Amino acid sequence: MSAHSNGPGLSGLILKIYIGIFFVYLFAPLLVMSLAAFNSYEYPSVTQWRGWTLHWFGELSEDDRILQGIVNSVIVAIGVVGLSLPLGLSGALILTRLQSRYTNLLYAVLVSPLLIPGIILGISTLIFWGRVSVSGGLFLTVLAQSSFIASYSMLLFMARLQRQDRVLEEAALDLGASSFFMFRRITLPFLAPTLATGAVIGFLQSIENYNTTIFAVGGDWTLVTEIGSRFRFGLSPVINVIGVLFVVLTVIAATLYTIQKEREKQRRAALG
Amino acid sequence: MNSLIRSYGKGLTGIFITLTAFWLLLLIILPQAFMLDQSLWSIDKDDQLGMKIDRAYSDLGLLEYDAQQATGDTKPAVQAKIEALKVEIATLESQETDPPREYGLQNYSRMSSLHFSIFVKSIFYALAVTVLAFVVCYPVAFTIAKLATPQRAALLMLGLIIPYAINELLRVYAWLMILDYQGVINSFLAWMGVVSFADKTWVPFLEYPGSVFVALIYAYVLFMIFPIYNTVDTLDKNQLEAAQDLGGSVFLTHWRVVIPHAKPGIAVGCIMTFMLSVGSYSVPQIMTRGKSGDWFSQLIYRQFFETQNWNVGAAYAFSLVLVCLIFILIMMKVFKVGIRDISK
Repeated sequence: MSAHSNGPGLSGLILKIYIGIFFVYLFAPLLVMSLAAFNSYEYPSVTQWRGWTLHWFGELSEDDRILQGIVNSVIVAIGVVGLSLPLGLSGALILTRLQSRYTNLLYAVLVSPLLIPGIILGISTLIFWGRVSVSGGLFLTVLAQSSFIASYSMLLFMARLQRQDRVLEEAALDLGASSFFMFRRITLPFLAPTLATGAVIGFLQSIENYNTTIFAVGGDWTLVTEIGSRFRFGLSPVINVIGVLFVVLTVIAATLYTIQKEREKQRRAALG
Repeated sequence: MNSLIRSYGKGLTGIFITLTAFWLLLLIILPQAFMLDQSLWSIDKDDQLGMKIDRAYSDLGLLEYDAQQATGDTKPAVQAKIEALKVEIATLESQETDPPREYGLQNYSRMSSLHFSIFVKSIFYALAVTVLAFVVCYPVAFTIAKLATPQRAALLMLGLIIPYAINELLRVYAWLMILDYQGVINSFLAWMGVVSFADKTWVPFLEYPGSVFVALIYAYVLFMIFPIYNTVDTLDKNQLEAAQDLGGSVFLTHWRVVIPHAKPGIAVGCIMTFMLSVGSYSVPQIMTRGKSGDWFSQLIYRQFFETQNWNVGAAYAFSLVLVCLIFILIMMKVFKVGIRDISK
């Protein structure tokens, strides 16, 4: 801690208390939600405590619509990753190389899906594809989600490409490599970490998405739209069980990621 | 473009251009254009149309009967009448199956005063959420970027991200359980003896817009913290110490040194938070349970899936796009940042 933070002791203390309150604000809801998953009461609650149970976990494993929703979500997410990575990469390559006064305009249009509310992306996709007789469903959900997830991956690729040393590419071409061969052996390996990050972020964004999906999904459903419709028709702690599973998966993934990073750091330190 | 072809050849460059064009046209521009188009026409359905067709058919029956009875010179006249009536029926029926579109701004101008007040209210609520989110998040972003030790900062970051991996709906739903009539806070108050469930004197948090605010800020906190953190992080610590040494108070240091430096991040954070709040369907829907006071996003949803009026729905949706666009332009002007600084 620098002198600045604790210098005037009082303001440092106030800030510490504030940060404490802020994290209570972040975590208290998770705690409440998780606890209700273990309550015997048939409506999600922590205040009407009827004793501990694992009953709702069993209920979840027999809930066909939820299970099918998970399958649908994964299908959509794979489609979104498969579509948005090539789109984002193409856009990034063109934008980093294009020297034109329209570059900024193109950039603005390609990132615009990030700045437009999600419901609008769903609605416009639904209207446009409806004109060519493609109605709502998983396919349309993939298209609607890809419009903005591609923008995310484009920004990731652009950040990476700005640090690219083009000398390597040129050397490969000078030595007689075909452009395709060069792309596969030089450019793609350079972009590999971004491809991985982009795939993970795109996958998570897709699974999590509700506001766009609800308009594009039609008669089909994903895990999240199914959860959404349960809010109208009968809630049960099965929803909370899903929340608990999300929390557990995240904590495991985050811990593994941190350990991995620590190890890399140590390895690098050892190499000196 | 030449530099692309030189590196990647015509084939690959062609693929890149095709993919980008597909994205640009089929996923962004054309959908928006068709939505705008849909918002600019309406079908002026004639309520009497069905009755008119029925009447024409019964007239036709009478005339055909007349034609059978008629003899000699009156017959051609009746036949001519029958032909004329058949043509009329055909036009009426084509109007029924494919009604004429009437272009104009009627979908926008006919917004009822109730819907318009919800529109304005939603914008103000979203602005309030944006300001509150900034006030709540700025100290946190600053602490992580400048005050905490690296290990501490990593831990705080992890703490920020964990709630985010849980689905938005579930995150909001947790707040519903806390603020509900018999939720956590009311139960606590009842235990303290402040309210009583038996007399139904609980605090109806869910009927106040504030409960939606709390959940919205909670849902989108990261979109405010990360951009601010990224810009504050690049601030040289020496500048802070210099300000300190020159006798600047904590407030003055932030006002004159940190905030000017963090402008692009603040602009991005505010744009994202405003856009997400004003366009959020899930949060108000869950927190109000469709009961107390719609938000504009819920109205839009109803136009599509309840009243089935896509033209009005498209007009409302496009109004929302305009609001976001205006907000972005204002923020860019106020914070003097360019489009390249945004969405970094």
